[in-house]
Amino acid sequence: MINLSLLTPEIIVLITALIVLILDLLPWRGRKVLLATVGVLGTVGALLITMGQWDLREEAFYGMVAIDNFSVYFKALFLIICTLTILLSINYITRGGIDLGEYYSLVLLATFGYMFMASGTDLITIFLALEILSLAVYILAGFMRHSPKSNESAFKYFLLGAFSSAFLLYGIANIYGVVGNTNLKDIAQYLSQEAALKNPLFLAGMGLLLVGFGFKVAIVPFHMWTPDVYEGSPTTVTAFMAVGTKAASFAAFLRVFFYTLEPLKGQWVPVLWLLAAVTIIFGNTVAIYQKNIKRMLAYSAIAHAGYILVAMVAGNDLGSSSILYYLLVYSLMNLGAFGVVIIVEKKEEENLTISDYRGLAYKHPMLSAAMSLFLLSLAGIPPTGGFVGKFYIFSAAVSGGYVGLAIIGVLGSAIALYYYLRIIVYMYMYDPEKEFLDGPVPFFSAAALVITAIGTILLGITPARILELAHYSISYLGH
Amino acid sequence: MHQIFFWGFALLAVFSALMVITRRNVVHSALFLISTFFWVAAIYILLEAELLAAIQILVYAGAIMVLIVFTILLIHVEETKIINPWQRQRPIAILLGVFLLGEIFLILSRALFPESIAGTALQQVAQEGNTEAVGKLLYTKYLFPFEVASILLLAAMIGAIVMAKREIEK
Amino acid sequence: MQAITTFFWEHPLTVITFSPLLGALILLFLNKRDVSLIKSLAFIVSLIDFFLSLHLYFYFQSDTYEMQFLEKIPWIPDWGISYQVGIDGISLFLVLLTTFLTPLAILSSWTAITKKIKEYMVFMLLLETGMLGVFIALDLFLFYVFWEAMLIPMYFLIGIWGGARRIYAAIKFFVYTMAGSLLMLVGILVLYYLNYQTTGEYTFDLLELMKTIPPPAIQTWLFLAFAISFAIKVPMFPFHTWLPDAHVEAPTAGSVILAGILLKMGTYGFLRFCLPLFPDATIEFIPLISILAIVGIIYGALVSMVQQDVKSLVAYSSVSHLGFVMLGIFALNTQGLEGGILQMINHGLSTGALFLIVGMLYERRHTRMIDDFGGLSRQMPIFATFFMLVTLSSIGLPGLNGFVGEFLVLVGTFQANKLYATFAATGIILAAVYMLWMYQRVMFGQITKPENQRLVDLNLREVIILVPITLFIIWIGVYPKPLFQKMERSVQHLISQVNRPRIIKVEREVFLVSGPNKMVYWTNVPRIKE
Repeated sequence: MINLSLLTPEIIVLITALIVLILDLLPWRGRKVLLATVGVLGTVGALLITMGQWDLREEAFYGMVAIDNFSVYFKALFLIICTLTILLSINYITRGGIDLGEYYSLVLLATFGYMFMASGTDLITIFLALEILSLAVYILAGFMRHSPKSNESAFKYFLLGAFSSAFLLYGIANIYGVVGNTNLKDIAQYLSQEAALKNPLFLAGMGLLLVGFGFKVAIVPFHMWTPDVYEGSPTTVTAFMAVGTKAASFAAFLRVFFYTLEPLKGQWVPVLWLLAAVTIIFGNTVAIYQKNIKRMLAYSAIAHAGYILVAMVAGNDLGSSSILYYLLVYSLMNLGAFGVVIIVEKKEEENLTISDYRGLAYKHPMLSAAMSLFLLSLAGIPPTGGFVGKFYIFSAAVSGGYVGLAIIGVLGSAIALYYYLRIIVYMYMYDPEKEFLDGPVPFFSAAALVITAIGTILLGITPARILELAHYSISYLGH
Repeated sequence: MHQIFFWGFALLAVFSALMVITRRNVVHSALFLISTFFWVAAIYILLEAELLAAIQILVYAGAIMVLIVFTILLIHVEETKIINPWQRQRPIAILLGVFLLGEIFLILSRALFPESIAGTALQQVAQEGNTEAVGKLLYTKYLFPFEVASILLLAAMIGAIVMAKREIEK
Repeated sequence: MQAITTFFWEHPLTVITFSPLLGALILLFLNKRDVSLIKSLAFIVSLIDFFLSLHLYFYFQSDTYEMQFLEKIPWIPDWGISYQVGIDGISLFLVLLTTFLTPLAILSSWTAITKKIKEYMVFMLLLETGMLGVFIALDLFLFYVFWEAMLIPMYFLIGIWGGARRIYAAIKFFVYTMAGSLLMLVGILVLYYLNYQTTGEYTFDLLELMKTIPPPAIQTWLFLAFAISFAIKVPMFPFHTWLPDAHVEAPTAGSVILAGILLKMGTYGFLRFCLPLFPDATIEFIPLISILAIVGIIYGALVSMVQQDVKSLVAYSSVSHLGFVMLGIFALNTQGLEGGILQMINHGLSTGALFLIVGMLYERRHTRMIDDFGGLSRQMPIFATFFMLVTLSSIGLPGLNGFVGEFLVLVGTFQANKLYATFAATGIILAAVYMLWMYQRVMFGQITKPENQRLVDLNLREVIILVPITLFIIWIGVYPKPLFQKMERSVQHLISQVNRPRIIKVEREVFLVSGPNKMVYWTNVPRIKE
């Protein structure tokens, strides 16, 4: 019943985190690169083992975690995110003077939390996973010492994060009070009774869960922490949480709502409809007015959460598999875009406003080309992965009969186009006024960019295989 | 009899909680917080959850309160002036609070609780008693969360070290 | 070599569409300092592409309306998406127009473009691939991909190499057209699911989708979703406001492509999608679209008349000319449609040539204001001749191409609605007024500005650019028969598609449909929730 071996990937990540901590004690100057290398090796190893778990469909620890295709898909995604984040961080944290060994360790611990967000089949597991990843990310957000903004960001994130955790916990408590159990399977069984569907305490619990998850995935009106936290955190951390935390929270959100709370669809779909519409409109509109590129990407991340909600509202198989696909594309293109920001950023928050990108294309054509690719993909323009992802989501919405929401979604994308294009305008259509980088583009960051760029294009041109995977991942959920 | 005790403890707990947020002296607030924890623990005992009551007193009234008092001492909080930049929000806050309270009452009054305890943890408690049941569950069914919680603590520890380290390296 | 030839014979459309892309990829690996190599390579690639596309013309069978040179490869099989391309008598000429104008546009930027030449040529070639893709795609998903992807290179062309207000123009162009096409995306999806509900099959295959007609009430909405997107591209009044900005600010080659080919995508969209997919709605919308087309014709002409800038004059004249095309299409008879299609090509040739000519003037004088010129015909006789010919073609002088198209459009419209034809005819008169007036002010009279004394006539490269266009202008004017022959079957088929069996009454959730053979066409009513 315990089946420890099923958790090999998670354990590898955990052990890597510990090894990194120990290796940091080596009295050797070049050890930071060694730490990163160990981190990457660990995650890649875990990734390979995770892939081997495809089609396994097992449970471990008395139904606390499930190794189904859904969790395998997400775990692979998180490990990819982790690898790319480490690659992007190597140079950045040295430049920023924050190259403590604990950095990689915390990134790995957060990834550990992400993985259980996807595979947890008990509300307790999900809550613990959420706390692990949150705690690690709170600290990472405040990693930039001397920077008041980074401190503020960490503090804000911590306070509001704790607040949202309380919501989630209270929701879990309500549900436990009614059901007498926290296991998703038992809750689903409880909901098979007719009377249970109208139990107000249960509904209240569900509402609180919604709020809790809403905070974590940053949808309007639970988004207010996002811009400040994204702006203040070290950019690598911003990228990591914009992508990883969001995807992990969506993984748990999906499992709980799509599988367990499916019978209550009539109750939560209208709420999500409204939240999706508001999130898309608000996120995109406010993003237009941002001058700081990190804030702009923060609002864009909010808007993207809105698109994913559209797919959740659609509710059918198509909708849920489109979320899986979209999260993969979103992770790659967003990490790519942040990657360019990370490379261009200098100490003391230089090169962070959008107008700082003036003429980048003249100095660094490849970097600008990559950035344009990511931005166009974020805007959903073919032939990029972002287009296929959006197409998939809106297609799910239309097939579910939510044409109105699909129209709101596409109008939001039209607004989004404006602010994504603005960066391209600055990069290509103005003349440069200064040098951007002190040296050549660092090797590891370049490698991360190449991976994300190739991924973004391939997902746009030959999506069939991944679409199939996404489809299989979701179709086993709870069956 | 049960009812009288419950209402007594509950009122005392609410009263202490109100005192926590209305006292100007932080130390007073802290002391009232301890008293709140105690009254809540008393309610746990009424519910025959004696282990929970003990944990409540040990962990909250004991460990966590000590931390809070230490913190207060370390950062020298003077008697705080009432700094409330959100004065205008108060009526709205009260209104919303009352509304929320009403909602909770409404939900609780209409809530359906499970009629039988079969298959739940409560069943085990009924059969073997509190402490044994919790212990058994922690090492069987809930073994996984129990273990994972240690990783949560690890993350917190690393975090604390990072926070402390920054001062040293400066 | 053998293998390449065989591949071309089996997949001519794919080769023609993607060879510019290949060329662009090769260009990426060249050193950006080898300017002349880059320019020549881009030109040669596009020229080869033109010669390859002639294959389509010569092997095109005029005796069938079926799609030809058809290729179909599954792309995303789960969703019923395939890479399906093919052309009929309508798209054939647009493909040829594209491959014909692109090398000329590249040649015209030989000296006009001085910065970032490598990127410029890459974008030109990418643009060509995108445009060709739009005209050959027979799968709605594929079509949409090309339709949007093509915006990116155009956006960069305007934004980087454009005039003073280039950034404003580029963003306006992009956001405007994109907003329209996003609505079309929703329309495509609705159509897709409606088709699934009736046939039980997921497919984006245009030829399959044409076989089922959505219920009339939904048709109206779908038609609007598609039509707004196309109308913005055409552009029809009142969606035309992006056009003058984009045209005036774009570099010469950009304007040529924009006017010559991009605008045709809108009218082509109506022909290829709106008419056959939503026949009931098409008929329902005839009055609205015809009136907007007429307003466009007259408005465009009047605004052209008062322009000071030659380039914006030509830009506004496009609004007027495209109005004729739309009017012809929505006459829904053979003459109107054939005239409309021909007029699409004519406009591509003559307006393309006009933009080239304006570009040549601008390169010499760095101004496009009519007042800055005058009396140029003495200094530049060769230039004057070409300019005259193109101007007359644009006006629609008998014996030149414009006449054939406009005449047919008017004949078709007259048969459909006499009032429309009468109003539209005033557009021709106005066109003569603004074009000739402009020509007179620029070319005749005394030379008032000293700078104009030193103007040199066209050089060999510029003559080479203009000669092929004028040859076509004259050829179509004198002997348009081969063109009509090739488009005739397709046009007739299109008309029969619009007039196909229609739903006549609704009886207890069952549509009874009468057609020529009184068949019951539709039994289950697809509904849209919400």
